[in-house]
Amino acid sequence: MHKRIETDSPGVFIEELKKIDDTLPKRIDANPQNVEKGLAKLVLTLIELIRRLLERQAMRRVESGSLTDEEVERIGETLMKLEDKMQELKGIFGLKDEELNLSLGPLGDLM
Amino acid sequence: MRVYLYAIIDSNDKIRKAIKGLEKASVYNIPYRDIGLIVSKLNGQVQDISIDRAIEHEGVVETLMEDFTLLPVRFLTLFDKEEDLLSVIKGYYSDFIENLDRLRNKIEFGIKVIWPGNTIRERIMNNYPKDDYPASISGDSPGKDFIKARFKRYKITKGFEDEAERCIAVIDNLFSLSVTEKRLERLKSENLLLNAYYLVEKERQDDFRRSFEQLKSSFNDFKYLFSGPWPPYNFIIPKVI
Amino acid sequence: MTMKDVVTRSKDVTLLEVLDRVLNKGVVIVGDITISVADVDLIYLGLRVLLSSVETITHLRGAPIEGPMQEPT
Repeated sequence: MHKRIETDSPGVFIEELKKIDDTLPKRIDANPQNVEKGLAKLVLTLIELIRRLLERQAMRRVESGSLTDEEVERIGETLMKLEDKMQELKGIFGLKDEELNLSLGPLGDLM
Repeated sequence: MRVYLYAIIDSNDKIRKAIKGLEKASVYNIPYRDIGLIVSKLNGQVQDISIDRAIEHEGVVETLMEDFTLLPVRFLTLFDKEEDLLSVIKGYYSDFIENLDRLRNKIEFGIKVIWPGNTIRERIMNNYPKDDYPASISGDSPGKDFIKARFKRYKITKGFEDEAERCIAVIDNLFSLSVTEKRLERLKSENLLLNAYYLVEKERQDDFRRSFEQLKSSFNDFKYLFSGPWPPYNFIIPKVI
Repeated sequence: MTMKDVVTRSKDVTLLEVLDRVLNKGVVIVGDITISVADVDLIYLGLRVLLSSVETITHLRGAPIEGPMQEPT
């Protein structure tokens, strides 16, 4: 291979890139036993994405001071319930947090 | 014998160099109107697909980029026969022409930056003023407690991301004069501040390299990685289906 | 880090840079619709679901491999 990399700290970059696990394409495993789990992962990832966006939106509104006391309380309780539901669903499908890989780009990792 | 596709080039001539591809097969150019499809023949049973084959594939592309404008094709693009390849290419022709025109004489470079994200987040956390919540979440109740905790987390994350944006802007700015296009991936992880792909005209590559030298002396505890030149993998505008 | 470590790691980094491009980027030619959701590419070719992680492929040594982008019928 042609020499085309320059860095003082190759080890550090390898560590970080391995953490991201992004260098190999993600695909749904075609193994029939795993198809169900793969689809569950997909659906739950979507739901979790929406849940996080809702939470972020709520935070912005809290920050802006445009919510009443009762609204804050209600939103808090709703978000709590949403999260409990997600935990339940993850439990049913045997999925852990790390398995829902949500890399939201500019939003960073909200976990 | 299958047909393995490496790249699309802006020439319908035979290639002069003798290039070996996967399975040491000869690489040749299938002309199609004003472009060429760089292929080699591959055995029916692909026994040995591995990282080494991916590197061989990249080797073919790198050799060609010296002489042609090319669109690199993703690894493992196979067709049963040339006719199949040609009938599929028909639908992509105008997109290929547009991309080739846009990418003529341009090469890709990669810049990665690692910063001490953990330390920075900790600093922001420690500086977070206690009980700095909007009035509406005063008083205790389950919903409000939940919101308080999440709000603190939100503010810290926001502070962290703002800091990242500031640093990224400084870094990106160093290269802005010598690049024609860019793709920036921000904060792919806590510590990987920036993963940038830059498209640079061949004649400007020295300017670009000089900018990297400047970058190395920018932030004290950041780590930098420079890679390239590459064919324009990250700058192909795909066909909109 | 010893000099040898640096050399070895540099090769690894080069490999990662190559693979990032050759496996994930570049022109994608498909005979069917590509659906991309939450950073997961689902490419359906008839009833087949794509497998193209290099690790998966190396595990399939000896078995005939179908390429990801295939002949139109």
